[in-house]
Amino acid sequence: MRPYRAHLKTNEKIILVLRRHPFIIFAKILFWLMVALLPLIFHLTLEKILADLFSNNLFLPIVILFLSIYYLYLWLFIFHSFVDYYLDIWIVTDERIINIEQRGLFDRVVSEQKLYRVQDVTSELKGIFSTMLDFGTVHIQTAGEQARFIFKQVPKPYNVARKITTLVEENKKFHRLLEQGDEIHT
Amino acid sequence: MVGFSLSIFYYVYLGFVLIFLLFTFFNIYHLVRFGPSLAVSTVAIIFYIVVSIFIFQISWQYIANVDWEQTIPILIQLSI
Repeated sequence: MRPYRAHLKTNEKIILVLRRHPFIIFAKILFWLMVALLPLIFHLTLEKILADLFSNNLFLPIVILFLSIYYLYLWLFIFHSFVDYYLDIWIVTDERIINIEQRGLFDRVVSEQKLYRVQDVTSELKGIFSTMLDFGTVHIQTAGEQARFIFKQVPKPYNVARKITTLVEENKKFHRLLEQGDEIHT
Repeated sequence: MVGFSLSIFYYVYLGFVLIFLLFTFFNIYHLVRFGPSLAVSTVAIIFYIVVSIFIFQISWQYIANVDWEQTIPILIQLSI
């Protein structure tokens, strides 16, 4: 909960903390693991040709250096995929929606929108895995200049959309009452 | 025999390692600075470093035994 607090106002309550479905990072890691098997497949299919090449004393050191770099960078890409997955967070509080997105190593976007400005919430399931594992996209249409807030590949998008709709309705009611109270006072 | 030293490949390798270390630093920095849970970030970083050291160690076992002073021939003089 440590860094969430930095984005919160006093007395603001966190209702939902969302990040992408674990399947997303699992699929990425699986892809990189398959890439890790490529040199082995290459070795098995071209065993004879490679055996001739490896008999050359000068060729082997170059292959060793290449394989070392190959696996180091593969490991770096896996780690970067995890960092990218782990640092993308959407927070729904009783007042606002906060979108924290790590788009690259030097590109971090934090945007927020007040709940009473939300006009429409839509959930979307697209594709086989998305339907089977129940993860998808939640589109949040606001009245602001930014057309949409998008929660990408979050688990149970329908439930999330319903929860946000309920919160928006409550928040709008609360703000209406506040405005009426102000009018009575003036 | 005209050629170039095998050590050129070794220096290119060191260049790639330097870039690897640079990106490793930035990834770890982001995880420490912005990671929601210090415990998860710490475990991920330690695991990443351990595996990286393992890859380096295996690589070094082979690299250490290579004679980098060898020359790769590009032109072979013909004796007539």
